[in-house]
Amino acid sequence: MLEVSRLRKVYGADPQAAPAIDDVTFSVADREFVCILGSSGCGKSTLLRCLSGLIPATSGEILLHGDPVLAPPKDMAFVFQDYSRSLLPWMTVARNVSFPLRYKGVSKEDAQKATEEALEAVGLSGRQKRYPWQLSGGMQQRVAIARALAYRPKILLMDEPFASLDAQTRFDLEDLLLDIWRRFDVTVLFITHDIDEAVYLADRVLVLEAPAKVALDVDIPLPRPRDQLKTKQLPEFAELRTRLFSAIQREPAAL
Amino acid sequence: MTLRRLTLFAQHLVVPVVLLLAFGLWSAQAEDFFFPPLTEIVRVFADNWLFDRVGSDLVPSVLRLLAGYAISVVGGVTFGVLFGMSRILRTATDPVVQFLRALPAPALIPFAMLVFGTGNSSKVFIIVLGTMWPILLNTLDGVRGVEEQQLDMARSYRIPMTARLAHIILPAASPRIFAGMRTSLGIGIILMVVSEMVASRNGIGYFVLQSQRSFEIPAMWGGVILLGLLGLTLSWIFVRVENRVLRWHRGANGLLPESDQSSKKAGSTARKNAPEVNDA
Amino acid sequence: MRQPVKDKGGPPSVAVPETAAPGARAARRPATGAWPAKRADLGIKLAGVLVVLAIMELCSRLGVLPRDWFPPVTSMYAELFRLIVEQPLWVEIGRTLRAWAVGIGLAALLAVPCGVLLGSIPLAYRMARIVIEFCRPIPSVALIPLAVLVYGTGLEMKVFLITFATFWPLLFQTIYGVQDVDPVARDTARAYGLGPSARFWVITIPSAAPYIATGLRIAAAIGLVLGVTSELVGGAPGLGRAIAVAQSAGNVTLMYALIITTGLLGLTLNSAFAAVERKALRWHPAQRQEVAR
Repeated sequence: MLEVSRLRKVYGADPQAAPAIDDVTFSVADREFVCILGSSGCGKSTLLRCLSGLIPATSGEILLHGDPVLAPPKDMAFVFQDYSRSLLPWMTVARNVSFPLRYKGVSKEDAQKATEEALEAVGLSGRQKRYPWQLSGGMQQRVAIARALAYRPKILLMDEPFASLDAQTRFDLEDLLLDIWRRFDVTVLFITHDIDEAVYLADRVLVLEAPAKVALDVDIPLPRPRDQLKTKQLPEFAELRTRLFSAIQREPAAL
Repeated sequence: MTLRRLTLFAQHLVVPVVLLLAFGLWSAQAEDFFFPPLTEIVRVFADNWLFDRVGSDLVPSVLRLLAGYAISVVGGVTFGVLFGMSRILRTATDPVVQFLRALPAPALIPFAMLVFGTGNSSKVFIIVLGTMWPILLNTLDGVRGVEEQQLDMARSYRIPMTARLAHIILPAASPRIFAGMRTSLGIGIILMVVSEMVASRNGIGYFVLQSQRSFEIPAMWGGVILLGLLGLTLSWIFVRVENRVLRWHRGANGLLPESDQSSKKAGSTARKNAPEVNDA
Repeated sequence: MRQPVKDKGGPPSVAVPETAAPGARAARRPATGAWPAKRADLGIKLAGVLVVLAIMELCSRLGVLPRDWFPPVTSMYAELFRLIVEQPLWVEIGRTLRAWAVGIGLAALLAVPCGVLLGSIPLAYRMARIVIEFCRPIPSVALIPLAVLVYGTGLEMKVFLITFATFWPLLFQTIYGVQDVDPVARDTARAYGLGPSARFWVITIPSAAPYIATGLRIAAAIGLVLGVTSELVGGAPGLGRAIAVAQSAGNVTLMYALIITTGLLGLTLNSAFAAVERKALRWHPAQRQEVAR
């Protein structure tokens, strides 16, 4: 359970400056898939960086399983948007995935097993010895996901992970993510600016408006397992999509 | 294909061969004092350097160079990392570092002789003082240029500081470290020669100067050629090592031959030139 | 395949233009008042210099370092001041600088046209390559004895050495610059019907200019090294010889004052050329990053 209450973040020393996040409150239940939807510049990434403990919040509270998040917590993993920059080009795929495990106190054999399992889960077994730059963008992001999975987190934070991929790769990875979410029993907090993606993936969608405030909290009662063709044809899908779209459209007026 | 290669090969060779032949023919009959016959230079070169003076002059020179270079690499990387990670240290030391870097190292030879005498240590000192700065400044910059996202990643996975240094910061800075080391190698050879020309009893620089003073011009030319060969050899070794260590870097920038890359990434060259561009 | 363009020119060449800071970093960290930060930096720098000078002064006064070798810094600067007022310093600086300026000027006159030629005609580049690659690693200082024999110990000797040493970085930077012209820009120019000479002036020269500026900065540093060295080793009048003379005469304070002068001269030249380079780089900072270093 992740609880965020009255979170506020102002960059710099000046407390009068415009906040990047202003008074955000929400909670995410265990094993829930929550998408945070917002247009660019509304503070989504800042919010996620606060939640992950990478940057301190100015005020407010973040509780993960009841403990305040002050530094990156042990059972949380982060998948960044820019795979080409978060993977280490001087390490092989397998090394990239197993690298963080060494410092988590995982034994060598266990780390190797977890790495193989995670790479298999993202469909990359057999590529252990390659280097990230020898893979396509989609595969690189799979490696980043595998690295997060091997870490065995309880909660997975994803910052627009598919934003720089082409449409087809993106659909494949969305389905892969849903599959992993079910199999690995993780909570996912997924940031996106793409309405379709949010509706397709999530149990719940939070709409952020600038400066990050939760403007709307929508349940997505679409049946699971979801399917790129069938789910997106449902009338409910179109309805939810329209609802979120108009919420985002309204947003500038709210300023 | 093979014909094309042969033509390329010939194009590369024609000018050097012609020049060498022309100089050989001209020098054989010119009887110019400063430019003795090529055959004479070659003969004296073989006399001196196969292998009479290798132990007495070449080896001491190279050892001094390597000692100074090694100290510079260790010191430059250490301080470069320190200054790269601490803004206060970096700012505070900047004027002093800039001054020492801009100071032509040979100007310190009299100082080195005063303090260290005329032995090996003064020569090593001069080499260190000239070669340290490019390595230090490049390391510093490489450390500052580490992708923020890689550091965020390391923090989010709770990777301890020493491991971050060894597995992220140093590898990420290594292309720049090597660039600095390459610059320093060239400077090091120059300083090796200069330091041996002032108050020395052996070394290639000493040999060249001594040959001139005793008007043994072919021997002097032989020394110059030997220095050229030494420079070529060292830089050849350096490039081999660099290519090996930085293979990932060339791969990531799309500079490896096609066969090494299973999938050619669009935008890889664009990223090389403009790091801030998101490859969408 | 050609290696990535990098400054292979040798000696001090690592001033990195501030523009090189990766854009992403700058974008994420909101600037917190640029001016006070700059002033604070200046304070820190000053403090750094003062601390170093104070330590040296103390070491000398307290006898941690032998006083004969390390006179107090204050007396070095007093000596420097005396030299400035009494003017022999300017004479020495002038001697060194004259050879430096003539040498680099000559080298630029020779290297830039050669570089343009070799850079724009691949056949010429291929034919000249081995000769260039062999001549370049010869340490220019190895030619000091030859230069002394041929030209004596005057200005000509220094100019010859400086020209020889600075020719290479200028040549290589020019070649890289000309070869690195954006093919799209060239094609665009062709599509708009620009003739070869117009293309040369409109596309090639502006593209190569930043590289040449970098070459000049490297050359400025090497030129000074060669100038001082040839004075020191070859005995031509100038700062280098003055340092050697002061040392052999046992006037240690004077020696340090002259060394400080040489360093400040190097610093000034370097800053001036780095400023020119930054200006030349400005139009396309990201593109030039690799080479600028």
